[in-house]
Amino acid sequence: MTLPRRDFLKAMAAVSGAALVGGPGLLTARSAQAQSTSVEMTDDITTWKVSGSHFGAIRAKVVGDRVVEVKPFEFDKHPTEMIEGIPGLIYGPSRIRYPMVRLDWYKNRHKSDTSQRGDNRFVRVGWDEAIDLFYEELERVQKDYGPWALHTAGVGWRSVGQMHSCGNHMVRAVGMHGRSVGTIGDYSTGAGQVILPYILGSTEVYSQGTSWEVILEESKLVVFWANDPIKNLQVGWNTETHEAYAYYAQLKDKIASGEIRAICVDPVRSKTLNYLEAEHQYINPMTDVALMLAMAHVLVSEDLYDKEFIETYALGFDRFLPYLQGETEDMVEKTPEWAEAICGVPADQIRELARLMAANRTQLVFGWAVQRQQHGEQPYWMGAILATLLGQIGLPGGGISYSHHYSSVGVSSSGAAMPGSFPLNLDPGRFPKHDNDNFQGYSNVIPISRAIDALVEPGKEIDFNGHKVRLPPYRMGIFTGHNQWHRHQDRNRMKKAYRRLETVVAIDYNWTATCRFADIVLPACTPFERNDIDAYGSYSNRGILAMHKLIDPMYNSKPDFEIFSALCRRFNREAEYTRGMNEMQWIEFLYNECAVTNVRNEMPMPPFDEFWQKGFHLFPEGKPWVRHASFRDDPEVNALGTPSGFIEIFSRKIESFGYDDCKGHPIWMEKAERSHGGPGSDRFPLWLQSVHPNKRLHSQLCESEPLRATYAIQGREPIYMSPEDAAARGIEHGDLVRAFNDRGQLIAGAHVSDNFPPGIVRIEEGAWYGPTGPEIGALDTYGDPNTLTLDIGTSSLAQAPSANTCIVEMEKFLGEAPPVTSFGGPQEVDPDGNPIETDA
Amino acid sequence: MIRKTLRATRDLFLKPSVSIGLGILVTGGFIAGAVSWQGFNTAMEQTNKEEFCLSCHTMRDNMLPELQKTVHWSNRSGVRAECQDCHVPHEFTDKIARKMQASREVWGQIVGTIGTREKFEEHRIVLARREWARMEANDSRECRNCHDYGDMDINLMRPTSQVAMRAAAERDESCISCHKGIAHHLPDLKGSHNPAFDTLVSAASSTRVQADGAYYAVLPHKIYADPGLTQEIGSLEVAAKVRMLESNADAQRVELDLWRKNKGFGRVWYSNFGLNITSAILSKEVSRDETLVSVLDTREDPATGLEWQNVKAEVWMPTDSLIDSPEEIWEIARASYNQQCSTCHRQPEEAHFGANSWPAQFGGMVGFTSMDDDTAKMVLKYLQKHSSDFIETAHGGDPTKGVIQSARP
Repeated sequence: MTLPRRDFLKAMAAVSGAALVGGPGLLTARSAQAQSTSVEMTDDITTWKVSGSHFGAIRAKVVGDRVVEVKPFEFDKHPTEMIEGIPGLIYGPSRIRYPMVRLDWYKNRHKSDTSQRGDNRFVRVGWDEAIDLFYEELERVQKDYGPWALHTAGVGWRSVGQMHSCGNHMVRAVGMHGRSVGTIGDYSTGAGQVILPYILGSTEVYSQGTSWEVILEESKLVVFWANDPIKNLQVGWNTETHEAYAYYAQLKDKIASGEIRAICVDPVRSKTLNYLEAEHQYINPMTDVALMLAMAHVLVSEDLYDKEFIETYALGFDRFLPYLQGETEDMVEKTPEWAEAICGVPADQIRELARLMAANRTQLVFGWAVQRQQHGEQPYWMGAILATLLGQIGLPGGGISYSHHYSSVGVSSSGAAMPGSFPLNLDPGRFPKHDNDNFQGYSNVIPISRAIDALVEPGKEIDFNGHKVRLPPYRMGIFTGHNQWHRHQDRNRMKKAYRRLETVVAIDYNWTATCRFADIVLPACTPFERNDIDAYGSYSNRGILAMHKLIDPMYNSKPDFEIFSALCRRFNREAEYTRGMNEMQWIEFLYNECAVTNVRNEMPMPPFDEFWQKGFHLFPEGKPWVRHASFRDDPEVNALGTPSGFIEIFSRKIESFGYDDCKGHPIWMEKAERSHGGPGSDRFPLWLQSVHPNKRLHSQLCESEPLRATYAIQGREPIYMSPEDAAARGIEHGDLVRAFNDRGQLIAGAHVSDNFPPGIVRIEEGAWYGPTGPEIGALDTYGDPNTLTLDIGTSSLAQAPSANTCIVEMEKFLGEAPPVTSFGGPQEVDPDGNPIETDA
Repeated sequence: MIRKTLRATRDLFLKPSVSIGLGILVTGGFIAGAVSWQGFNTAMEQTNKEEFCLSCHTMRDNMLPELQKTVHWSNRSGVRAECQDCHVPHEFTDKIARKMQASREVWGQIVGTIGTREKFEEHRIVLARREWARMEANDSRECRNCHDYGDMDINLMRPTSQVAMRAAAERDESCISCHKGIAHHLPDLKGSHNPAFDTLVSAASSTRVQADGAYYAVLPHKIYADPGLTQEIGSLEVAAKVRMLESNADAQRVELDLWRKNKGFGRVWYSNFGLNITSAILSKEVSRDETLVSVLDTREDPATGLEWQNVKAEVWMPTDSLIDSPEEIWEIARASYNQQCSTCHRQPEEAHFGANSWPAQFGGMVGFTSMDDDTAKMVLKYLQKHSSDFIETAHGGDPTKGVIQSARP
């Protein structure tokens, strides 16, 4: 993949002009390139426009101003079915068409009746009025209260595209006006990213992992612990390449030929297990720590652990051992027999598993599910200890990973730099219009999943990672490009909390439940209705992708860039916000900055015009790499990022916080509620797991009707269950089911499958919430699992979500089921509340 | 044709005359001298004109089209910088010196070193470095004929420019330090380091060190056991603090006063007790050598139970490698951090984490940035040195101040 010298020189010529000065002075207007409609689109897809998405790069055939066909980008050898949902995303009935304001808020502004939130009645307004309202609310909140009263909620899986990254636009524009309460952490890896820095010295959950070439060559045993990569690798943080699937195909072959053994430790038979034809190690839900403690007990009592490795690379084994041997805490020896009663794995099988791992080059590969439960820090910590006892950390094909199911981790990086983004920060030396940082004693940063606690228990002081956080009772929230009413737990608690909010602004392209519960809703256009640039491959850094605008923004939607430019115009800072550059100038600027860096990396890129015309630029394959190998090679110079620089089996630092739900070493702790004989299982015997969806990215694409039709049952989200649990309740595949607990109730469609053992049901997260009405306790008509989940922090350490700690009961739904209310946008009304029939 | 002329000229000067009388030669020489003075002046004048520069195709084909796209050629005010405005000194002696230097470039054109576009591009780095060095040395005097810090209204500049220009004006910094590649394309910089380091290197070369003063390494530097800098014994990290003992033309002897963990070779030395802020790495051969390393103090770190030692050593390093304050380093690091770490999420405030937490946080995410290794090390050190262990926040040292949103819901 070497460029001819001539091309290289051209690349240099393109980048050098903008190199050290940048800015609009050197950038010519590029309106001509913004649309390439002059190019004839034939049946040859390389003549089609290129764009990107979390689900992969695409080619789109556009006729007139309509996307008529979407196909995978030719480089993508393992595309996902999800891209077939893209037309449904663009043209679906859930698009936000116009700026809308909630009826009672329109009449009474911030003094509205907030118990009406969720009745989905909205008044259409023009853009000028909508932005005026937004701006006046910002002014009011900053003047009447101060920065503690404004919550700029954490952004989430914004649509791909570095220029239009919507969180950056919101944070920069609102930040130019005033300060606000922000968040720390996220819903996916909240516990993992806090605990692992103390143990392995890195967040690990988003780190590049050992290359698949190495694992396939060196590993004899691969253990997928609560991990379903075949399902989850369909999506990526940047435009996904799906390169990892080629390696899973090789792994499948090696399993079939007996060269590698693969075991899935999981309560259910996962998509990965079925694809790889791997062995299944069943375990009771939420009992992984008990199983791992017993395995550690076997390694120690049978002298199978690597003492030399521990001596050189780890600290604190001597303070953990007494717990294992039953001399501290609960004073119970953590034998396989002890664990069997909890985790449901026969003691002899536990012994065999431990011996197998010790006898082979073993790669442990953890998913994120086990840390999305109460005490979610513990299984990750205990996994690291298990790997330390095995002594294979840093060896090719050995050790532990917490990321191989994510964004093609394990595909080695090309080493090329990827484009930067529209700036999130204020420019250096600039300050907000309301330059007030008095938070009145409240914390200006809260753990993201405690955002509802701040409304329910305002002013409460909570522990968090060694510090105290005082929850601010914010009055206004701004949500852009993410759906709090999908990702957060316990809908009915949220409904109660939202009554305390005076004003909620939501910006999105589809009418999510977050829009339904907002007051001002602004229609952004989809990423397919604007030009952008994206990294291709979040870890492989495979290339740079042009995102050609496929069609004009539909209805009255606009790019976030224009929405927030208009907001900044209200306080005369638009030029500062845009830096005087338009969309294409920004894209070219980001490309050229990236090109300058890559020239230094000896990875030349073509001139921008050439790149834009072609639609992509790919970089060569990187070199295979082994995680933690440099640490193993020289633990002094390449020390880990832990307090000591070594693996910390026992953490004095965590011990010093004095938390009883996260002590100095991993401990088996009973959960607030648990199936399979645990607390509450007499009333609610079923564990509800809410895994990442198979045909969505969280709640994205749920609105895509053609895609939803491929999995929904009677128009409802599936609830997966075992034949035994179905039969016991008179439920048959295809029936409607009411699932419930003390927190809520929902309707879902029964999907009966042998993949599920008794006592376990699954509803994939991201199913759109559609209550029958605004009242607390209302039935959810589509099947959002977070109607039922528990809203508590994992522990005082991480305060992360505990979505997988949830038990329920279900019954066959009898009588006439209410229609699904999740999709199709709001009920438009006039200011008197009379319904207006829209043209659509 | 040119080669023929040159050969004739060479013969004229070097072959002894066999047929002309001495008197004629002397008289003729005098007359020729008078004529040539006039000619010299004319030549000076002629070669100072843009037409002369552009008469050679290297300039016409390479430099002119590049220049024409810039504001120095085409702008709304109709003022145009010509070649000589930037590249020919206005003072007589400097001008002569520059002319002598320029003869190399003309020679290069004639003999073909830079005769084609490809050859010119290969050679561009050499030419550019020479010109940058000249402008750096004369404090960008030619730029300043038109641009003056005193006459700039910094408030009219773009916000991003304001900060940079204010700082530059305060230090009266040479224009070329930042504004490279504004009239012509930049040379091929592949394999080179972060260009921001250039300003640090130039700051170091103008720092006058004094015995007993405290100084900071501008870049990672090798350290040696001898003044001849032949026996390498390790390396000093960026921004590492040293005390000056003595300095000669090529080398300086400095004292390291640092901490280490008393485990293994004890070769990684840190700036503070109990904090993993790397300042120096010694080679395994010398790290336990008592003739080089003296242990002043030993303490247990309560956070890890490890024993730490306060260690001292005197080492040699090259000159022009130190500055008297780390602030300039932090400025570059801060800019890199704020920009690169806000691509996906809000960057946490520096004091959000402790010095011993930053390596894990930073190491977990740095792969998503385009920082090279040296820049990454510098940014990490900046974060550690501005972490909650050093900085009191607005909320009385509450390290939850600051925001991170890595944000996957």
